[in-house]
Amino acid sequence: MTSLGQLPLDSDTASSLLPETMMLAGLIAIVLIPNLGDAKFRIPLTSVRVPVLLGGSRFDLTNDPRMPNRISNITFLLAFLSSLVLISESPREVGGVLMADGFSRVFSTMFLAALLLVSVATTYRIPAKTNAQIPDDSDSEAAIDRKISVLIDNRRQVDFYILLIMVGLGMSMMTMATNLFMMIVCIELASLSTYVLVAFHKESPAGGEAGAKYFIVGSVASAIGIYGMSLLYLWSGSLDLDVLKESWQAMDGVDPFAAFGIGMMLVAFGFKVSAAPFHLAAPDAYSGAASPISGLLATASKAMGFVALFRVLVIITVPEGAEALWMVALGIFSVVTMTWGNLAALTSENPKRMLAYSSVAHAGYMLAAIAVVGSGISSTEESVVILTAVTFHLAVLVLFKLGAFLVISHLETEGKGHSIEHLHGLGNRDPMIAGSMFLFVLSLAGVPPLSGFLSKLLMINGIVSTSASTGSSDTSGIATWAESVDPLFWLATAIVLNSALSLFYYLRIGLVMFFEEPASSKPLKAAPSLRMAIFACAILTLLCGVGPVSEWLLDLVNGAIDSFMHQ
Amino acid sequence: MINDPLTVITLIPILVSLALLILPKLSPSAEGLARASRAISMGVSLGMLAITTMIFFGEIGNVDWSNYNSGYYLTNDSIALIPSIGVHWKVGADALSFPMIWLTTLLIPISMLVEWDAKKGHLFHPLILMMEGALIGVFVSLDMFVFYAFWELTLVPMFFLIMIWGGEDRKYASMKFFIYTFTASVIMLIGILVMYLYTPDVASSGSVTGHSFDMSVMISSTEFIPSEGLRHLVWLLLLIGFATKMPSVPVHTWLPDAHVQAPTAGSMLLAGVMLKMGAYGFLRIAVAAFPESTVVFIPLLIFLGMASLFYGAWVCMGQTNLKRMVAYSSVSHMGLIFLGIATMQPLGIAGALFMMFAHGIISPLLFAVAGAFKHHYHTLEIGSMRGIAHHSPWLSAHMMLGWMASLGLPLLAGFVAEVTILIAFWMSFGWLVLLPTLTLIITAVYYLTSMQKTIFESNDPHHGILPDTLHGEEPRDITWHENAGMIILGALTILFGILPFIFWDMMSEWSSGFLLETLVQAMQSEGVKP
Repeated sequence: MTSLGQLPLDSDTASSLLPETMMLAGLIAIVLIPNLGDAKFRIPLTSVRVPVLLGGSRFDLTNDPRMPNRISNITFLLAFLSSLVLISESPREVGGVLMADGFSRVFSTMFLAALLLVSVATTYRIPAKTNAQIPDDSDSEAAIDRKISVLIDNRRQVDFYILLIMVGLGMSMMTMATNLFMMIVCIELASLSTYVLVAFHKESPAGGEAGAKYFIVGSVASAIGIYGMSLLYLWSGSLDLDVLKESWQAMDGVDPFAAFGIGMMLVAFGFKVSAAPFHLAAPDAYSGAASPISGLLATASKAMGFVALFRVLVIITVPEGAEALWMVALGIFSVVTMTWGNLAALTSENPKRMLAYSSVAHAGYMLAAIAVVGSGISSTEESVVILTAVTFHLAVLVLFKLGAFLVISHLETEGKGHSIEHLHGLGNRDPMIAGSMFLFVLSLAGVPPLSGFLSKLLMINGIVSTSASTGSSDTSGIATWAESVDPLFWLATAIVLNSALSLFYYLRIGLVMFFEEPASSKPLKAAPSLRMAIFACAILTLLCGVGPVSEWLLDLVNGAIDSFMHQ
Repeated sequence: MINDPLTVITLIPILVSLALLILPKLSPSAEGLARASRAISMGVSLGMLAITTMIFFGEIGNVDWSNYNSGYYLTNDSIALIPSIGVHWKVGADALSFPMIWLTTLLIPISMLVEWDAKKGHLFHPLILMMEGALIGVFVSLDMFVFYAFWELTLVPMFFLIMIWGGEDRKYASMKFFIYTFTASVIMLIGILVMYLYTPDVASSGSVTGHSFDMSVMISSTEFIPSEGLRHLVWLLLLIGFATKMPSVPVHTWLPDAHVQAPTAGSMLLAGVMLKMGAYGFLRIAVAAFPESTVVFIPLLIFLGMASLFYGAWVCMGQTNLKRMVAYSSVSHMGLIFLGIATMQPLGIAGALFMMFAHGIISPLLFAVAGAFKHHYHTLEIGSMRGIAHHSPWLSAHMMLGWMASLGLPLLAGFVAEVTILIAFWMSFGWLVLLPTLTLIITAVYYLTSMQKTIFESNDPHHGILPDTLHGEEPRDITWHENAGMIILGALTILFGILPFIFWDMMSEWSSGFLLETLVQAMQSEGVKP
């Protein structure tokens, strides 16, 4: 057992931490490169001037306001690719608190993919000056360039991407943490950066309000979680997940310290995954933040909460063949979460709030699946299938949930996107974008053959195949059977009914896009990088539902979860 | 895959139509493609017709249709699409699906011909071609997932056909059409998923979930669904999905709106093939998988059938809009299909199958007539014009033939179906047969009165009364391509009325096999006299 201070840095370790190393290098580069200039230092008493590069007036290249975005894109692309390659590497322990294995790499790849999309999509997104004009198609080349350079203030650009890379660093380290303390530190690194990112539009009242709300609620949730962690430490004397697992299994009855500790950590993670009743800040935060950031919160940040839930609930506290302590509570919370989310989404007039509530509903579906893992009636194989389904769902959610937010972000480039009316007639104005949006909402609703259907089917299948055998085979009628079947079966029913309910608000987006008359028939802005990100999401949403890509992804996830459950 | 004709006729139309729709948008050099798309679409659809006709003449004698379980022919080794949840590309055709496939390939070129000069033809004809692929996909797929995907895919081209080329209220109609059928198919999907989740473990085949979407596996493993109540529930969910498509009273209300607003070709395909998807799916999945539930719910089927038959006919009597009247007559005739299935006689089921086919050639003729009427007289009001026989002799001739066939005149295709269903109904339910028979009189009443009002009945022997919408112009008779399409449909109506055994033998063999394999046992266990 090595302590935190003795991090061995040999070449093998370095290669297994390649994505993190790259992000670190990117962080340094993004701080340094935009500041490079022609400053020279005169050696005293001579007339020799040595260029020191830092300071002075900047070079044309480093002065380019798009520079930080480019650095961030390259950083995330390289980190994403190296993380993808590392999935199949054998597990390696680093410093006793990190474990780089398939499971962590699947998740870090997922996070980095989301961050890459966000980074690419935010190229034209950040108006630093409130009076900055958005380039128009009627402008000349030169005017467009000038407006863009006003639009993108170099230093605020740098801030944005520094924070984005910090989020990436925190998230990908978090997936590897095998020590609760390390995990909380990494989660906080990612969270604190997201608090700032949410409030990044500090000029607008909505941005400031969203940031403040999200920060206050989030820090209270974190505080509760840390308090719970300290109770766990009091109880077992260690924060190592393996030690905690052994102590839990050796525990006679339920120790109140342990139970309260776990319960309080659930509050913190419940906030991260935006489960009811800890979700109340989410819609405000999502609607106040820039859409790509909202998308990041709804996908990567949520997945981070689920990794924590996997580690804490499934590894520490699932007893062999018996019902876990939290099973009933989690089952009830999951149903409340999905129903609340869907009902609230039905009445939302703001598409970002609607997507936020739909994200709450999706958290409910996944919590229901996790509740089944804790029921004690699922074998390890069945648990693997269920957790594979949840992980796969989180992975494809990056495509269609983030994609939907990116479409809203495209509307934001013309200062719209906060009301469903702004989606009116999008089908006439820009058929490709509207078609992609329709694909995203259909996938969110779980319509075959899109990837959202595949993942939802896998979850429902996991729940039903675990619980269906418990029903009585008495043929006398449905009432007897309904009474005899395990209550878990009704979780599957709740998911199906909620999905049917959710169709109404998802299809409504499609209807207004294709049927209502647009306020202006002007086509949307070109924004090529944003378009590229949206189309990539749309194509992958389809490919991950049917065909070889979906197989490959599912195999990858399944292998990772399999090794995770059998470690 | 290439040497499997069913895969070819499913995928080629979809791929060609996608190419025709997308390529001209991508590069300006493909402009020529857009101009040629009408001819290319027609060529492809004729090619498909040639393939299915060759299959028909080449193989029809060699297949034992009565062997229900192995009666599929042209099935090939399945190709894995999503092995992790057990989805395969598996196609086949039997006596239930083959007439529908042939009908589809026949109606597509005819509907293109009838609307040969449609506006925005570079989009119109490729969309119809896409419709062809999706419809054939529904009829050939033997994998429930693929079936459902094609089932939903049929909505897309039809939605755009109504939305872009429809009448004044096209927005409302296309939205209603989409919402109704989509909701119904989601309900059906829940039923399919329950069936899927109770298929026996096939994890060895690489399925992560341990289940399979293979249609034959799903249908034969419904006994694993633990309680009879749940089986009935699934059957009802499937019924809602299929009955909405058919459509049956009380979920028929989307149909008249969609028909009235749809362009002629859209109406022809909607009535000719899309409605049959409901009956096809009901027989193929709901009845085959849950024979016991079907037997238990015979009274419900009779009620739905009678309600559709009577209500459709009754509403027709009060209709003044030509297309709306034909649409309601479709509801009425679809009711007969439920009655035919409810008889649980080989004759009744074969009659239902023949009804599906006969209605599939008669109702497109009626809609082609209605479309031509609208095209040349700019109105669909039945009373607004009298004596069109003077002005449009060809149109009147086709109109009369179509209406006569639809009301069941002997020696025309509709009669064969109606009379066999009624005989089977009498064999099963005795004097109850008076109810559908007397209702069929209403059919004759509304057709004959509107015939008299429109075609004849004019005081002046040389001039009819022209509607105001013509503004005093002389109406012309129908164009050559409209005429050609109607002549083909009319000739087939007569052909299958005189020689019904072309398809009848195969249908009746299949029905006996189907009944023997699935329903007889169920009827015995439920205590119903077979």
